Amino acid sequence: MSTDSTAQRRKTSAFTYFLGQNVGLVLALVMLVMAVILYCAVYWIEQQTLPGNFEITSTVNNTMPLVLAAVGQAFVVLTRGLDLSVGGIMDLSNALAAVYIHDSLASMVGWSLLILLISTILGLVNGLLVGVGRLQPILVTLATLSIYQGIAIRVLPQPGGAIPPVYTSVLVNPYQPYALGYLLLVAFVWYAFRRSFIGVSIFAIGNDEQAAMANGINVVRARVTAFTLSGLMSGTAGLFLAATATAGDATTGNGFTLSSIVAVVLGGMNLFGGRGSGVGVIAGAFVTTMIVNILFFSNIDPLYQSFYEGLFLVIAVVLGTLISRLLRRRS
Amino acid sequence: MARSAQFTRRLDRIGLTRDVRRIVYAYVAAIALFAIGDVVHPGFARLDSIAAILTVASFVGIVAAGQTFVVLIGGIDLSVPWVLNGAAILMVTTSLGDDGRAAYALLLTLGMGAVAGMANGFVIAFLGVPAVVMTLAMNGIMEGLTLGLSGGMTCGSCASYAPPIIQSAVHGSLFGIPTAIILWVIIIAAVSVVLSLTTFGRKAYAIGNNVQASYLAGINVRLVTVLLYGISGLFAALAGILLVGFGGQASLGMGDPYLFQSIAAVVIGGVYMLGGRGHYLGTAAGAVTLVALVSVLLAMNMPDYGRNIIYGLVILVLLLLYGREEKED
Repeated sequence: MSTDSTAQRRKTSAFTYFLGQNVGLVLALVMLVMAVILYCAVYWIEQQTLPGNFEITSTVNNTMPLVLAAVGQAFVVLTRGLDLSVGGIMDLSNALAAVYIHDSLASMVGWSLLILLISTILGLVNGLLVGVGRLQPILVTLATLSIYQGIAIRVLPQPGGAIPPVYTSVLVNPYQPYALGYLLLVAFVWYAFRRSFIGVSIFAIGNDEQAAMANGINVVRARVTAFTLSGLMSGTAGLFLAATATAGDATTGNGFTLSSIVAVVLGGMNLFGGRGSGVGVIAGAFVTTMIVNILFFSNIDPLYQSFYEGLFLVIAVVLGTLISRLLRRRS
Repeated sequence: MARSAQFTRRLDRIGLTRDVRRIVYAYVAAIALFAIGDVVHPGFARLDSIAAILTVASFVGIVAAGQTFVVLIGGIDLSVPWVLNGAAILMVTTSLGDDGRAAYALLLTLGMGAVAGMANGFVIAFLGVPAVVMTLAMNGIMEGLTLGLSGGMTCGSCASYAPPIIQSAVHGSLFGIPTAIILWVIIIAAVSVVLSLTTFGRKAYAIGNNVQASYLAGINVRLVTVLLYGISGLFAALAGILLVGFGGQASLGMGDPYLFQSIAAVVIGGVYMLGGRGHYLGTAAGAVTLVALVSVLLAMNMPDYGRNIIYGLVILVLLLLYGREEKED
């Protein structure tokens, strides 16, 4: 940066500077607010009342798996990679939960922890192949996606199994939006991650791997950690998915690979690494769910749903790029 | 280590450079699979069985041709499943199983594929949207349009068959060789010529190696990008037409397997995912390897889950082999 532009930057307000630096996060939050307003509007037109406790609860509960999967994906995206195995790990965690979790407290706690441990190990395998094996993230996770899905189908060949009602009411209480607490927890974990040494390392290698290495950051360890965290989050997402559905299905997780990428992108994260915020990603996940709700209440033929979702994704990303270019030029 | 480095250097000197070696590996893997298949299931490597496998491989190979083009510039095309599926449905609904309308339907369908692909390329090249995001969105757009316009495959014309002329063209054979394979060989030749002998092909490699340098060298990067994605859409649509000719009718979800398979074929064929390296000759061998692998596993009565696992493992092993070479240089 030349002295000229530094002098210029001092003239512009701190607010504009903040906007320029966090444009992705701001856009994601603006999108979320707009989506909520639009949702309330179409809901009002249809039902002559505003969405109440039930709608809030079901929206939060239904979005939790995507929030967790998207935050997991975000760790990997920060390192300039993509984790396509998110859906596979969710499938496996979902299937294991449906088959093995029974009514006793010991079974619920024990198996949940074991499933999370397995998911973390699966993420670690991805990380080792990418970091130590020096392979392309997309290719490694494409291959492990196939493997993890295969194991999941082996565990639970047909949809079925059962999740104890207690387990469901603890994770995604169907009557009160207690799941918002988990949301705060996720946001807090991100906050802590962002300020931890490993968090800084992951951001650093996403921005400039050479520079990070020159500054003594262990690139391999940062990369392996990102994938391991992604595995852990995907496993948690699988547990929440099983709890929401109260049964298991070894294929419902598949769609989350792509929708987690969509949520990350709508959350204002840069797919080229090193930029993004956890709060933005959470907002992105909610925007993804809200769009489906809005389409539902505006009586649009559900067959066209993917069309509108695809169109929205393109428009959001194009507008986001244009606005951030504009703001960066001004700040 | 030193000895193997010396060995690879000697291979380089006789023309077997790393890129060529990767293609050779893909062919060796394909041949090895046929040999293994013949051991576990005698008759696997008979001519008619090989012809059947190559016919199925031709569909994968044609989709993978488009995928190779975009991967060469460091892109990826995730819109393959629903461009293919939409094309198949457009083919039957516009031709209504009538030979007289076949030519019109064929052109319309191929045009649709090319336009969808070029729309991908346009947004990627001019608006700076990452290829993963744009082609993912395009897949959704095509899915929504296909489902919505066909009323979820409930429309009256949706149950139409492909025109008999196209069905017999796909099922027919020339000098005892199935036409699908002949068409694929022609495509392999054409794509190879485009990649190796035309300026367009060299431009694609140049962009994949270094966008900035290509731009400074006077290449119209944006135009080439739009065209390459257009070609990918075109090949996906062509595969849709062939599949509907092969199976007679269109169905929902028929394009889904082709995303994973086309990317896997590109990888096994030794094309470098970050762009600039690789050749369609490798991808073609990759498609054969993949389909032969599935056929071997089917012949062994391997259940679904086992196939998924072995599929993934084979790709990982190949990746590790290729990766090892990378480090020796």
